[in-house]
Amino acid sequence: MHVHSYEKIWLALGLGLILLLIGSVTYGAVGPGVSMVAADQPTVDPTALDEDDRFAEPRVEQVGENEYEAYVVAFQFGFEPDPIVLPANSTVTFMVTSRDVTHGFEVVGTNANTMVIPGEVSTLTVETGGPTEYGVICNEYCGAAHHGMEGSIEVVPQEEFEESAGGSSDGDGSGGDQ
Amino acid sequence: MTATADAPAATADDGTAPDDGTGGSEPGTETFYDRFPEAARIVRATFLGAFLAFAVGTTFGIIQTLHRTGIARPFSSVDYYTFLTAHGVFLVLSFTIFFLVGVFTWALVRSLDRPLVNTRFSWAWYGLMATGMTLTGLTILAGFTSAVDVSADVLFTFYAPLQAHPLFYGGLAVFLVGTWLAGLDWWRTFLAWRREHPDERIPLQAFMVLTTTIMWYVATSALAISVLFFLLPWSLGLIETVNPTLTRTLFWFFGHPVVYFWLMPAYLLWYTVLPSIAGGRLFSDPLARVVFVLFLLLSTPVGIHHQYLDPGIAEGFKFVAMTNTMFLLLPSLLTAFTVVASVEYGARVRGGTGLFGWLRTLPWRDPAFTGMMLAGLMFAAGGFSGMVNAGMNINYLIHNTIWVTGHFHLTVGTAVALTFMAATYWLWPQITNKPIYSRQIGLAQVVLWFAGMALMSNAMHAQGLLGVPRRTAEPTYSGFEYGSAFGGYGELNLQVAIGGTILFASAVLFLSNVVLTMGNSRTDGLAETLAEPISGSEDAPLVLDNIRLWGGIAVLLVLLAYALPIVAIVQRGGLFGPGGEAYPMVLDALAILAEQAPDVLVERMPDVLGGGWAGGWP
Amino acid sequence: MGTTDGEQTAAGLLEDPKSFDPKGTLALILVYFCILVTMWVYIYFVEFLGNDLIVVG
Repeated sequence: MHVHSYEKIWLALGLGLILLLIGSVTYGAVGPGVSMVAADQPTVDPTALDEDDRFAEPRVEQVGENEYEAYVVAFQFGFEPDPIVLPANSTVTFMVTSRDVTHGFEVVGTNANTMVIPGEVSTLTVETGGPTEYGVICNEYCGAAHHGMEGSIEVVPQEEFEESAGGSSDGDGSGGDQ
Repeated sequence: MTATADAPAATADDGTAPDDGTGGSEPGTETFYDRFPEAARIVRATFLGAFLAFAVGTTFGIIQTLHRTGIARPFSSVDYYTFLTAHGVFLVLSFTIFFLVGVFTWALVRSLDRPLVNTRFSWAWYGLMATGMTLTGLTILAGFTSAVDVSADVLFTFYAPLQAHPLFYGGLAVFLVGTWLAGLDWWRTFLAWRREHPDERIPLQAFMVLTTTIMWYVATSALAISVLFFLLPWSLGLIETVNPTLTRTLFWFFGHPVVYFWLMPAYLLWYTVLPSIAGGRLFSDPLARVVFVLFLLLSTPVGIHHQYLDPGIAEGFKFVAMTNTMFLLLPSLLTAFTVVASVEYGARVRGGTGLFGWLRTLPWRDPAFTGMMLAGLMFAAGGFSGMVNAGMNINYLIHNTIWVTGHFHLTVGTAVALTFMAATYWLWPQITNKPIYSRQIGLAQVVLWFAGMALMSNAMHAQGLLGVPRRTAEPTYSGFEYGSAFGGYGELNLQVAIGGTILFASAVLFLSNVVLTMGNSRTDGLAETLAEPISGSEDAPLVLDNIRLWGGIAVLLVLLAYALPIVAIVQRGGLFGPGGEAYPMVLDALAILAEQAPDVLVERMPDVLGGGWAGGWP
Repeated sequence: MGTTDGEQTAAGLLEDPKSFDPKGTLALILVYFCILVTMWVYIYFVEFLGNDLIVVG
């Protein structure tokens, strides 16, 4: 089969482009350490989240030195807790699940973005910076009032976080939902 | 698959004798309508079905554009999702696939120079497709009224546990069976031709139709399983629950190859019609075959790239899907070269000179030529955003933002739709013997589509980078404001609205032109011929025509890519899921929400003004 | 590769189509390639890796 030499050049460049793309993605994974939402948590029963100690009371909890976990429940049409209060300059792992339909969890203007599928727990770990505020939205159509589904994240100084969240982080549940 | 019984009847139907063995060459004095009047009527019917869907789909498109951007909201934000579901289903399932079966029927019959084996069978698949799509379409449209307890506001992707009325799934199944029988029709016609011409190469257009049909069978197998074994019984109350991750995965098993299914008729037209309109010749028949084989092999084992941000699927599976996807760039890159070179040959033969100067000698006043070229240019731009979508971890940046909507309005919304409109200006006279009402309006129309889409799609990509979500009636929120890059959210909204309005004007011009063309009387002398390739099928290795081999490898690749992920999903969540209720998007629930939704916004207004945060809702 | 210097003439191309060298196509497609690579580098390394809240686990 005859292939024109120009087209061979193009084919070689095309293969080079593909390698550049796969190479960039691999660099992102091993260099800055970007990791994908994956299958690292067992499934949960979306109708029995009140029996799961993470999601019965959606909250932010300290799990290690400067390490926190944020248990978030998405539902038609909102997020719990709201706002999600996080300490500045810490490592936070979001664990997000849904108690009804498929939702999205997008921290607007950032890379924190995941599908939220009933029965599955999405986990993503991020490093917070200084104090700031973010909007959180559902970016997957979830029903008639989908456009009203939003939440928020408040990143506050460490001291302020300890004052406000002192009650809920030791597990007495006073800071949970109502 | 035998066609013996039907062959004589078909010959009688079309009133033409089987051809004498020249194969693939179209007599210059005859149009398709002259030579195959029965097949021409079927093609005409499929095109009219496509244009009806296009009319409704684009009307809904402009309503959504103006609603989303807040320019005009004559309907409620709840109705927005009914419009959105209909816009998606009518344009990407109905418009594209009805036009596709027309183009494929034309291309197969033309290139084999042989009538379909049984015209009654052809009308049967057309009838099934039309019935199925009508059922699904009416079920969606019933969402506008609470007078009937029927609705399907589940969008084009119908992710469980959102649940549509059973008629929605049932109609889809009937439509799907119609497309399968269309494929069977083409294969039977091909096999009949093969018996008459045992030693000939498969003509290029027929080869494209046949490989794409196999791809379609592979792709739709998963959709059929999802609908028939899970979603339809679930919507009928026969099973209690489904596994949302499983039905989602089965959807995307189908959902990626379907985009190539839309694209393949456009490729067929670029490879086999565009060079001739430009006065050129296809640069390489063998490479065109290679490209279609690559699409058959690689279109399906990539669907998980739509699920990069899904929980419940291991990162390794996602990486495999990404590498497969990246290699799927190759056939499109090759196509860009081959098609442009074929056109350049035409320009050089017309006396074009210089490195870029030859572009001036091309027939830019011809709406079919200009439309297809602009469609190809937009596809090149869509290629870039497609690379980004394919790039696994960069999905954190753009997943489910309106960037993605911008992307597929370049691909299916322009590369495919604009090629179909442009091709109509060339093809419609061939299948009806009626000249186009106005080629000037046609030219203006294709240029307007290009301009409108350039504006709208570019702004959508930019908004996506700001984090603006897709699939929402009101992308303005009370608790935060989008970043100000790329001109800012407000200015980009204006660009989307202006672009969308131009697109709608273009759609109106196209449809008016078609309707006025139908009023023309039939005339002689419209026949067009297609030029032979520069490097013809004699240069293509015989193994390329072994569609059985390629089909086998395609199935094997799909098994390799999907067996482990699907087993893992079922092991994790069970065949019918880890529990959970159905959320029917039906009945009065919608009416209640319709009343509540505006209140929510009113409740939140003070928060916007005060900068504070409302509690959860409801 | 056909003629390497000067323009290929229209008559020559009609007579021997296989001598056609699509150098205009090659030029266009190289421009496209450069645009693709530049935009990819920008969006991946600036827009994506430079964004807030990189997901590291």
